[in-house]
Amino acid sequence: MDADATRSQLAAALVRVAGGDRAALRIVYQDTCAKLFGVCLRILKDRSEAEDVLQDVYVTVWRKAATFDPGRASPITWMVAIARNRAIDRLRSRTAGGRLEPIEAADAVSDPAPAAVERVELAQQHQRLARCLEELDARHASAIRAAFLDGATYEELAARMNVPLGTMKSWIRRGLLKLRACLER
Amino acid sequence: MSDDDTIDPADRGKLIAAEYVLGVLGAEERREVERRLAQEPALASEVAFWEERLGVLADAVAPVTPPQHTWSQIEAAIPAAAAARPTSLWQSLAFWRGFGIAAAALAAASIAALAYVGLVPATRAPLMATLAGTSGQPNFVAAVTATGDNLIVVPATLLTSDPRAIELWLILPNQRPRSLGLIPPGQPIRLSIPPDLAGRLTPDAALAVSLEPPGGSPTGQPTGPVIASGKLTGL
Repeated sequence: MDADATRSQLAAALVRVAGGDRAALRIVYQDTCAKLFGVCLRILKDRSEAEDVLQDVYVTVWRKAATFDPGRASPITWMVAIARNRAIDRLRSRTAGGRLEPIEAADAVSDPAPAAVERVELAQQHQRLARCLEELDARHASAIRAAFLDGATYEELAARMNVPLGTMKSWIRRGLLKLRACLER
Repeated sequence: MSDDDTIDPADRGKLIAAEYVLGVLGAEERREVERRLAQEPALASEVAFWEERLGVLADAVAPVTPPQHTWSQIEAAIPAAAAARPTSLWQSLAFWRGFGIAAAALAAASIAALAYVGLVPATRAPLMATLAGTSGQPNFVAAVTATGDNLIVVPATLLTSDPRAIELWLILPNQRPRSLGLIPPGQPIRLSIPPDLAGRLTPDAALAVSLEPPGGSPTGQPTGPVIASGKLTGL
């Protein structure tokens, strides 16, 4: 099945979920759970916490399906955003006591993102983002990727890449502004 | 702040959305952005921009199959569907049973359309139309949003792969049809109703669907066969 068909099938299932159709939620779950579990696990680095968050994600999808607008967002992107937000909130509540993530542990599971990005079939959206990221300073692009995939704060990224906090903020903010200008072109 | 002083203040305002989506903000800053999202459409649309653009980065993450028991826990955590719905909706759906085999698909599409427009907290009586063809077979369900300025159209049956465009028309008493836009085959769509027509979607009006050349009717009036039509009715 091609990507467009998968996308419209998933969008249709989400619209049914909005109508209270539990069977449709199961279809949505089957089609997306491995991807969303991967996303949560990558951020939380803890299976049991990622499982908790994954449950929470689908309960949120159930409650919020009516706000999904198939004309505006791709269904998988909408769900990835929910999963990342839940996982990042969990991560922040864990480190709220001042304990930072052990950087070594984070590094151990982070894979070389650019290579992975190259491996996936590059749809138009991918190509565009990849091209715009390439226009950035390599360190800025790499900080942006790491921030997205690991949900790391400025402090954690600064420690991980061994630069002052102000430098990390400046890298990412400049990178984002440049990225935005490029994506709008 | 030294790390900020060379960034344009106008850009700083936009950056907060990107920083939120990227995930670099702390818990309190995240709550602050979420509070603002409900009140600031510009911020919400900036967040949507970044979610859509950066979202593809998630493809770099390897999928991992969650354990079997996760699904049953999710199922246990969601309320039973019927209990959450107003009974009047179910009663009003009852007449659709007569349509036979298409009824189930139609009912699903109708409920989807209603839930999608946010029926439950609706401030005015929802308006719906079942658009049927000459055989009586329902082809589309349309529902007007609570605000009266959007129309959700959900296909109730699969359409053949006809290359022609599917165009939706508003039929008002004693007036020429007005186009409401094109409908993609096989998927639900939200159409915004032109401001001058927003108040005209009443139980006097009807909707019709015609097949037109790619891109829609060249004349502004239906030129191809009308494949479905139906009156708007209040629930």
